[in-house]
Amino acid sequence: MMSINGSPGPLWTGGPIPGQFYNFPGGKSDSNNTQRVRSVNPIVTGTSVLAVQFKGGVVIAADTLGSYGSLAKYRDLKRLLKVNDTTVIGAAGDYADFQYMSNIIQQQVINDEVINDGFGYTPKSVHCLLTRILYNRRSQFNPLWNTYIIAGIEEDQPYLGYVDKIGMAYEAPSLACGFGAYVALPIIRDALEKKPDISKDEAVALIDRCMKLMYYRDARALNKYQLAVITKDGVDIKGPIISETNWEVAHMIRGYE
Amino acid sequence: MSILAYNGAAIMAMKGKNCVAIAADRRFGIQGQTVSMDFDKIFEMGPHLYLGLPGLATDVQTVLQRLKFRLNMYELRENRRIKPKTFMSMVSNLLYEKRFGPYFIEPVIAGLDPKTGEPYIASMDLIGCPMETNDFVVSGTCSEQMYGMCESLWEPDLGPDDLFETISQALMNAFDRDAVSGWGAVVYIIEKDKVTKKFLKTRQD
Amino acid sequence: MASASVLSEYKAPISAHFSPYDFNGGTVLAIAGNDFALIATDTRLSQGFAIHSRECPKTFTLTNNTILGCCGFHGDVLTLTKTLAARLQIFEKDHNKPMPTASIAAMLSTILYYRRFFPYYTHNVVAGLDEEGKGCVYSFDPVGCYEKESFRAKGSASAMLQPLLDNQIGGKNQNGYTAQSLTSTQCVALVKDVFTSAAERDIYTGDNIIISVVNKDGIKSEKFPLRRD
Repeated sequence: MMSINGSPGPLWTGGPIPGQFYNFPGGKSDSNNTQRVRSVNPIVTGTSVLAVQFKGGVVIAADTLGSYGSLAKYRDLKRLLKVNDTTVIGAAGDYADFQYMSNIIQQQVINDEVINDGFGYTPKSVHCLLTRILYNRRSQFNPLWNTYIIAGIEEDQPYLGYVDKIGMAYEAPSLACGFGAYVALPIIRDALEKKPDISKDEAVALIDRCMKLMYYRDARALNKYQLAVITKDGVDIKGPIISETNWEVAHMIRGYE
Repeated sequence: MSILAYNGAAIMAMKGKNCVAIAADRRFGIQGQTVSMDFDKIFEMGPHLYLGLPGLATDVQTVLQRLKFRLNMYELRENRRIKPKTFMSMVSNLLYEKRFGPYFIEPVIAGLDPKTGEPYIASMDLIGCPMETNDFVVSGTCSEQMYGMCESLWEPDLGPDDLFETISQALMNAFDRDAVSGWGAVVYIIEKDKVTKKFLKTRQD
Repeated sequence: MASASVLSEYKAPISAHFSPYDFNGGTVLAIAGNDFALIATDTRLSQGFAIHSRECPKTFTLTNNTILGCCGFHGDVLTLTKTLAARLQIFEKDHNKPMPTASIAAMLSTILYYRRFFPYYTHNVVAGLDEEGKGCVYSFDPVGCYEKESFRAKGSASAMLQPLLDNQIGGKNQNGYTAQSLTSTQCVALVKDVFTSAAERDIYTGDNIIISVVNKDGIKSEKFPLRRD
């Protein structure tokens, strides 16, 4: 019924896929219904963001590479944004769209602050805001080409949220986007399954190992990354950290010459 | 629409204790239009060997004729009955010969080994990739529905009567949720010393 | 001219294709009883071969006696449920009572039809008690066509579940047997069985099911594990 990758299945058997017009059997088909498509491809991109909850907080990390297609163009792009003392967001995908979104968020935080009612943005409300903005843009066929991971402390509990360019959002105790979902996430989930309440140091070590792995296996990754730890004491963005790498076994890999 | 669903069909086979069952609907239609309700899709290929051919009706009959020919040649040459597994290979080979211009059928095979009486069922895709199972196989336009029914109703070691009831309920309720199959059904219960053929009256829509 | 021909040899970069929809799987199932309504959902959220979350139920409690089951594209699910929650809150403030199940169904139909030419890619089913306290189930297509029914499966494994419900609840193809209404305990057992079967064959259904039963005492939910592969 549903195709595995890319397009969703038809609304009913033999029917149109969502967004397509249905041609009634025997009726004239209208071939001129071309859709208006606007900016629909990313330019400077960031790769995976990894995040995991631990007892009393969250760790989130993203490397600092801005790729221009296959060109490693910018080597010091910060893809983690501190929203306030409880919230950090990490962005993958188009960097310009992330900067645009950063402006919106920071302006919102200021607007919220001047009201001075003692309420501010929490990870959950930032997550909700991003979901609404991204869903709105996808509905105008003009998406912001990003996947965001929102990390923070919500009512003294660790919070991790995910939202992509079509407004698909959820919460989970460990998250990764892009290539990281295939390479790093299984390792993080495995660690959490063996020990659900890992400590802060264990979480940092886990993410550190995974960032190194991403550098080894993701051609669009860099061994230089930022890592943020969010606890009830606030946000601590470390880095850029350089991963120590070891290529001793590289010469044994054959067949790709 | 897929050519496989042009005429519509629903066929399944199940293993029981020292018996197997194979059942099919009886509709022959052209897309939404039902043409006849007595169309054969299950064929006797030996005393304990039955073949179900769901798919494009013209290919059903062509493949049947070609298989009968090959089966006759085999039995004349070997002077013995074919084993269900061997017959499955024969069907698979015939289909794979047309790898790049296939017959649009996805066969189901059910039978008992002529010597040991061991139950055997198998199904394959339209280019002859076989699948042998120990529970049930389904094929046709409502395979999802049939999987849902069989997965819930089937259990190991059913006797012939229970197997008949199980396969009949599984098939009827599955094809009642499919617009292009149904209109009656036929069930074969194959045991070592007898084969029972029963027709089922079902809703006619 | 020369430069033009040289330029034409450069192919445009392969631009990433944008589709505003996705399919995130999930199955929901609702049954209406005499004095109760039951709705069950699996908790898997997937995309292609990836499992995003194992703890993402697709049922949403709308009022004290109405639950919505909603699956398909999760972005639309989130938006639709948010819109519905807001509309229900407005109704409650305006009328000083929660919206009845039948009215929620009618309103959902108009909300879905409002997006007729850019639909919410969601399969919906509303289960709850009507104003006499009887169980009722309304099922919807993605653009708002709806019908009151006594049982309905929706979502990725719906084709596997529905025929079994026809047989076991509707009493279809059982000569001489007239369908009797099931108790909620019988329904819960049946739901566990059919979901276990569906999880065997549908990769978009699994991890857990959450079965919620609505009756005059309120809503009770229970969790039941499914296979996680």
